[in-house]
Amino acid sequence: MTAVEAPVEAPPVVRREPRRWQGPAAFAAVALLALVVAPLLLEPFRLGLLAKYLCYAIVALGIGLAWGQGGMLTLGQGVFFGLGGYAMGMYLKLHDAGGDLPDFMVWSGVEKLPALWTPFGNPVFALAMAVAVPVVVALLLGALVFRQRVRGAYFAILTQALAAALVILLVGQQGLTGGTNGLTNFFDFFGQDLAADETQRGLYLTVAVVLGVLYLGARQLVRSRFGRLLLAVRDGEDRVRFLGYNPATVKTLTFAVSAGMAGIAGALFVPVVGIISPALLGVVPSLELVVGVAVGGRFALAGAILGAVVMGYARTYFSEELPAAWLYLQGALFVLVMTLAPRGIAGLAAGLVRRRREAGT
Amino acid sequence: MSEAPAETTPAATASPETALLETALLEIRGLQVAFGGFRAIDGVDLTVGRGELRFLIGPNGAGKTTLIDVITGLTKPTAGTVRFEGLDLAGRREHEIVRLGVGRTFQTSVVFEELTVLENLDLAASFRRPLWSLLRRGRGVSEEVAAALETIGLTSLARSRAGVLSHGQRQWLEIGMLIVQRPRLLLLDEPVAGMASDERERTGELLTEIARDHTVIVVEHDMDFLRRYASQVTVLHEGKVLMEGSVDEVRADPHVQEIYLGRAREDAEDAVR
Ligand SMILES: Nc1ncnc2c1ncn2[C@@H]1O[C@H](COP(=O)(O)OP(=O)(O)OP(=O)(O)O)[C@@H](O)[C@H]1O
Ligand SMILES: [Mg+2]
Repeated sequence: MTAVEAPVEAPPVVRREPRRWQGPAAFAAVALLALVVAPLLLEPFRLGLLAKYLCYAIVALGIGLAWGQGGMLTLGQGVFFGLGGYAMGMYLKLHDAGGDLPDFMVWSGVEKLPALWTPFGNPVFALAMAVAVPVVVALLLGALVFRQRVRGAYFAILTQALAAALVILLVGQQGLTGGTNGLTNFFDFFGQDLAADETQRGLYLTVAVVLGVLYLGARQLVRSRFGRLLLAVRDGEDRVRFLGYNPATVKTLTFAVSAGMAGIAGALFVPVVGIISPALLGVVPSLELVVGVAVGGRFALAGAILGAVVMGYARTYFSEELPAAWLYLQGALFVLVMTLAPRGIAGLAAGLVRRRREAGT
Repeated sequence: MSEAPAETTPAATASPETALLETALLEIRGLQVAFGGFRAIDGVDLTVGRGELRFLIGPNGAGKTTLIDVITGLTKPTAGTVRFEGLDLAGRREHEIVRLGVGRTFQTSVVFEELTVLENLDLAASFRRPLWSLLRRGRGVSEEVAAALETIGLTSLARSRAGVLSHGQRQWLEIGMLIVQRPRLLLLDEPVAGMASDERERTGELLTEIARDHTVIVVEHDMDFLRRYASQVTVLHEGKVLMEGSVDEVRADPHVQEIYLGRAREDAEDAVR
């Protein structure tokens, strides 16, 4: 009798937990695809491309955390990506030089290895720095900025300015950083020939595994109390203060985690692609990463990853076919997604699944 | 975190400062708040003792919310002091004041709509934990949270998103979130505004229950509600304390009647009823 009065399209009152096996099953399927099927089916060149996109996906995962979960629109992830990349690049250069000066230094007339470079001859140190430097920079920036309650567009612009500043810094220090060319011409990767298909396949697998592990870690974070606190900070920072938490701390820590992820991605990117240069970490690449996350769906970690991969393929395709239009196309896509489907591909997919389930039951 | 205060539970006040037992819980002296040239609070003195249930009334714009904002660190005073347990609150940030044991609700309730009722309460109950321990999954319902759910009558909605709650239920959830914080002073800003009469009644009972073992300041200018649940009342008017006394004294006061008469008809009718 009361069924007549029931509202037509009531939102789900009780948040329905997805069936227990679905998440792990989907994860296992994707892992199988990435770790077994892709290396079997893709020729080395294509596998290398995928490895590169997966590096971007690691950055995207961090953006998903900071922006999707924490509401911090960071337009400067390229900075952290670059810091990680340069740390790895410096090690590879020194390793290849085998005690001599790296080639680009010789060309730009540097006579003695700069003190900054010396410890990077140690791979453990270089790898540690690839994560630690981005994390520390993000912690400092966050402590400074979030305490002052800088947020929203101001924060976005600030991070973008940081990306621009880093590019200027890198380009200006030719002898120290390789200038516009960046660090490139790597040959040997921990005793293996970087150009060999086997090495590249191993690198691809490494990237895929790292992405998987970081994804699981991020998921754990999101589902913990801290994750709920982060969501609360995103939706009502001022209210969170009256729950006794300092939102600045929550944001700073999350921002640092996302920076660390970008650093790891940068360190992996260098052996995969064979170069790190200012053009790869400036304002435009940073923006492209954010566009990817928006397209994939910023509120779902998997959406962020998907977005990075989809945008990677799209960029490779379009920038070859219509290089002039790519930038505009990308901008249009961003606007379209943000206005029509703010939850991105992941949101559309979730909507489809829900509708089918409701129709089925 | 380094911010973890010495006290972990409000009951455990066996610190040296308990020599302050004679001092009031909240002491406001010569408080002044100016917005531009306008004085929203203009020389307010207010003392609230432990265990008191104090009602704060006054017409729209009297400065009631501003007073709460100052106590909780949201608004900085231009002059005067606010002391809580003898501690000067000047210069402390909002979350630090919460950690000292002052909790509040807002005139328009703000709960986290994406989180469930349970998660909202759980978050409110967890702020004393070290931050790293929040990384754990945190399943299950603590006794304290379960008790609060029971008190605010939302047990059956525990796993619903807070976004689907009615206005009244949101206010109760806010009160629940306040209780699980275990504050020593609760500040409620118009908890029954916009509620239906049965909801008001329920809130009144809730308030009475909470006041049994908490110090509470309630902002409310609904005279009917006041008559039923208040004992001690402070009347604020144009940023000043107009008078202080029992409900009956306040309602009988010609001055109070006048300011309420001078405002809106409904208020006037309430006031003289
Ligand atoms: N941030 C602000 N800037 C300027 N004026 C303000 C600000 N906050 C409050 N006021 C003014 O201060 C006065 C007191 O406001 P307050 O909100 O404290 O009143 P109130 O007693 O809570 O009223 P109500 O019953 O309507 O909630 C009002 O005249 C208001 O317009
Ligand atoms: Mg008010």
